[in-house]
Amino acid sequence: MCERYGAAKTCFTYIDSGLPRISLHCRVNSEAVNAFVDPSMTLLSFLRKELKLFGVKEGCGEGECGACTIIMNGLAVNSCMVLAVEAEGAAITTVEGLSPDGGLSILQQEFMNHDALQCGFCTPGMLMSARALLNRNPDPTEAEAKEAIAGNFCRCTGYVPIIAAILSAAKLEKEARAK
Amino acid sequence: MLSRFDYVKPQTLEEALAYLAENAGTKILAGGTDLMVMLRRNAQMPEHILDIKSIPETRRLDYKPQEGLFIGASINVNEVAGAAMTREKYPALAQAANALASYQIRNRATLVGNICNASPGADLSGPLLVYDAKVHVANSQGQQTVAIHEFFTGVKKTVLQPVDIVIGVSLPDVDAADAVFLKQARIRGHDLGIVGVAARLTAAKEFRIAMSAVAPTPIRLTRMEEQLKDRPLTPELAAWAGEEAAKSIRPISDVRSSAEYRRHIAGVLVKRALSQLLAAGGI
Repeated sequence: MCERYGAAKTCFTYIDSGLPRISLHCRVNSEAVNAFVDPSMTLLSFLRKELKLFGVKEGCGEGECGACTIIMNGLAVNSCMVLAVEAEGAAITTVEGLSPDGGLSILQQEFMNHDALQCGFCTPGMLMSARALLNRNPDPTEAEAKEAIAGNFCRCTGYVPIIAAILSAAKLEKEARAK
Repeated sequence: MLSRFDYVKPQTLEEALAYLAENAGTKILAGGTDLMVMLRRNAQMPEHILDIKSIPETRRLDYKPQEGLFIGASINVNEVAGAAMTREKYPALAQAANALASYQIRNRATLVGNICNASPGADLSGPLLVYDAKVHVANSQGQQTVAIHEFFTGVKKTVLQPVDIVIGVSLPDVDAADAVFLKQARIRGHDLGIVGVAARLTAAKEFRIAMSAVAPTPIRLTRMEEQLKDRPLTPELAAWAGEEAAKSIRPISDVRSSAEYRRHIAGVLVKRALSQLLAAGGI
């Protein structure tokens, strides 16, 4: 059912509501963003369509799969479950914000070293959930790593290499800090 | 993608209540983890979305001796699970909060949203029932509290009117920390419960047992609580309670489980919960 497009059609793509736009000021990957957004736009749509951050993936769109995971004010959240206007004043990190200039972060490198990706669709969300975990708990157990990515679905690689990559990255980051 | 609505974010409770009273067709947004799914599926088509996260009253999360714990409507489930006071004083609530959905969802989802959505399987409803929580409701006429056992009226139904805002939930101060929450789900760490059981032994040695996903609303097993009263907690009593609980509920079959399995696992969980209370030193 879709009010705008008639009862028979289901809306799966973003459609501008035509209502007055609302101002939005936030920081995305450390850069200031000032925009006017449609009140019914999700943060996921905003990041992809307006900011062209295509690392943020849309999977289920209902908070089940975790492909759209970003870090908002230090917390891993599903960006499909947040309205863009709710990000007013927020600090947002997407997968694009993980890599240092001209390279990959330790976490990203460890995903590659452990072959923790095949098709790669879930990878940005996995990386963001893993990043949020390592930020709050730099030395997680295997069980804690599993719990942290329980909301991220992978349908081709399987979770074993992903968990190995996260634990390995935790170890290497610890060593890097000790230096 | 989402239905056509405008968005308002009032800074005070008065503003929000006035807006709600004047604008029919308003939905309240806190965490949005249920609402956003409804909007996407066009199952809800509100004209206005009222974001309550800026309202100071809804941001409260504090514990006061004698008064107890207050959890505001904007407090997310991870904040509830992580608060030292929840873990020390209300362990069943902390365990249930840790068992709800995935980590990302818990960062947005709120305890108050979990009960306002009034799913029969709401994970946090059981602990709130065994702690005799009160729901603080405001509208433009004033404020009142509703006992949690009077709050749910049916599947996805509560006593709330469209002009009401739930400010938060309060739990009375408790002495003993003897309480446990157990949940059976298909996937650990990311699933709705097939059955949830919360059990508590009060300082006066009275039992409180609540279950979710076994009836149209979360329920307290008050009849069984009466029968358990004044009987010493033994492994035999735990086993008896498990059998009795399985007999006294009438669950349904759905996508997650058959009624038979629900009935069986409900009995197992009640027995296990009482056994854990026994192991923790209950008498």
